[in-house]
Amino acid sequence: MESMKILVIDDEAHITHVVSLKLRNLGFEVVTAGDGEEGYELARQHKPDLIITDLQMPYLTGLEMCAKLKALKETSHIPAILLTARGYALSPADLDRTNIKEVMSKPFSPRGVAEKVEEVLKECGGATEAEAA
Amino acid sequence: MRSAVIVNLFLALGGALLCAGVTLLVSEHVIDLEGSRAWALLGAAIGAIGAPIFATPLVMSMSRSLASFEADLRASVEVEGAEPIRTTGLLATSRRAVDELRATLVDRAQALTTKVREGEIRQHLGEAEREHLETVLNSLHDAVIVTDAFNELKLANEAAASLLGFDAGDSLHQSIDSVIGDDELRKMIRDESATASVGHRKRTDHQFPQFAHGGAEADAPTACYDVTLACLPDAKKGAGGVVTILRDVTQEREISQVKSDFVSKVSHELRTPLSSINAYLELLVDGEAQDEDARQEFYSIIRSEADRLSRLIDNMLNISRIEAGIVKIDRTEVDFKKATEKAVGVIVPQAALKEIAVTVNATPLACTAMADADMVQQVLLNLLSNAVKYTPEGGRVIVTVDNDDHEGAVLVTVADTGLGIPPDALPKVFDKFYRIENYKRVAKGTGLGLALVKHIVETVHHGVVTVTSELGMGSKFTFTIPYEYEGA
Repeated sequence: MESMKILVIDDEAHITHVVSLKLRNLGFEVVTAGDGEEGYELARQHKPDLIITDLQMPYLTGLEMCAKLKALKETSHIPAILLTARGYALSPADLDRTNIKEVMSKPFSPRGVAEKVEEVLKECGGATEAEAA
Repeated sequence: MRSAVIVNLFLALGGALLCAGVTLLVSEHVIDLEGSRAWALLGAAIGAIGAPIFATPLVMSMSRSLASFEADLRASVEVEGAEPIRTTGLLATSRRAVDELRATLVDRAQALTTKVREGEIRQHLGEAEREHLETVLNSLHDAVIVTDAFNELKLANEAAASLLGFDAGDSLHQSIDSVIGDDELRKMIRDESATASVGHRKRTDHQFPQFAHGGAEADAPTACYDVTLACLPDAKKGAGGVVTILRDVTQEREISQVKSDFVSKVSHELRTPLSSINAYLELLVDGEAQDEDARQEFYSIIRSEADRLSRLIDNMLNISRIEAGIVKIDRTEVDFKKATEKAVGVIVPQAALKEIAVTVNATPLACTAMADADMVQQVLLNLLSNAVKYTPEGGRVIVTVDNDDHEGAVLVTVADTGLGIPPDALPKVFDKFYRIENYKRVAKGTGLGLALVKHIVETVHHGVVTVTSELGMGSKFTFTIPYEYEGA
């Protein structure tokens, strides 16, 4: 678990800072990005085990970025958690075109995010490894 | 008819005998001659026999004519549903019968005249009611269409004709297929008619293209209509058609959407700093700050995010108060040169961090206006703060203060050598919560600063605020405050 890599994307620097701090304290390797486009590039580059992303961001929204990543073979297996300040419910179409597994609302608890990360990694770990292989 | 002939024969015979008797008596008393008596008796006999022979055809002809006349007369005055006129064949030959018949005819004629007048009155009333109904319907902004059981147009007001692009007069009694171009609306009317359930009602929203006279424009925008369909009863209380009422709710829906978007934006803007405060507090509570420096950093972030939240709430409340017209305005003679120097003094430390030079070019003349000093200060600070935030290091901010005597107002410009504003964003920069998406990383903001500037300048002080910008070259915000506002 310690070697797992998580990409955190938010245009609010304090949010990426606090989330990455919590995850690093739990032993995860964390990469951060400040907008959707940067997040997309870092996901392709690092191929993280999980992505935590904001919804409304410059250049690419969280949904658009996740959809682009799912469309790419090399990143299609990466699960994502949407962390948003807008009340947002994923439509079946959103679920279908992205690999978003959970939606969390702001304000959030870093403990809550950590628990959700472990749940998603546990749920997707087998599939992720199998697909990656 | 036969009995009348027999009676007439007897009458003719009696008459003949009477003539013969009279002739005989006269002959006996007046002509008392032997020879003449015999001739008289012969004449009487011939009279008695000849009179019925000549009288009978005459009487029969008269009887037939009278009977025919009576029958014709009766047939001509018979009224459907009225009690039949009672006469006997014998009456046709009597004066009394004709009188009775004439009296009956007069009564019938009067009754018919009365009925015709009543009908005319009802017709006039009906026409008046219809005209009144049409006037009422045409005064409605809502479109009203009434169709019958055969889905033909029975009634439509001017709003309906205008909305759907047909001529209300020419289209009456025509099928909705040839009158209503909108497929979905036709289907709604047919479906409602098919329910054949009097009192049945249906409401739904429907998008219509905005029609020009005679038809829809190719790129016409759509309007949202609230459509109510109700099944109408006919004269026998069965389902006899449909009334369709279309109400334009485009504006209501837009307002509702704007409200919803506003609440969503407010929620988003409040949640963002609250998230940081909440998350850093939790890390502190959980002892996840590694050292004192980390703890101090967390405290500092919490403080700055709390300030951000406070500013956001203040701005929102100020805008709301101005919009609601309940803001307290304290008008005094404001010296705009001094006000500008004060605002620049506040912003210079922030500009110095980015080595941005802030210059003030003020007219040597007095530059004052009746205004709320605190609000003017807020305007100047918001414009200067934006200029510094969106100007790269080493840039310049130039403030100009002057009098526009032609407009009778103080004129202030805040120009920078910053990023500039994309042309598509220029019309939206004064909107509440609008932020240029790609500049969010450049600087923090609530998206309310310029909205507040516009409200203070235009709503409170009846001045004007404008912006010009060239992408990559910088922006220039200009505002005027009238020297005096007569309505104040």
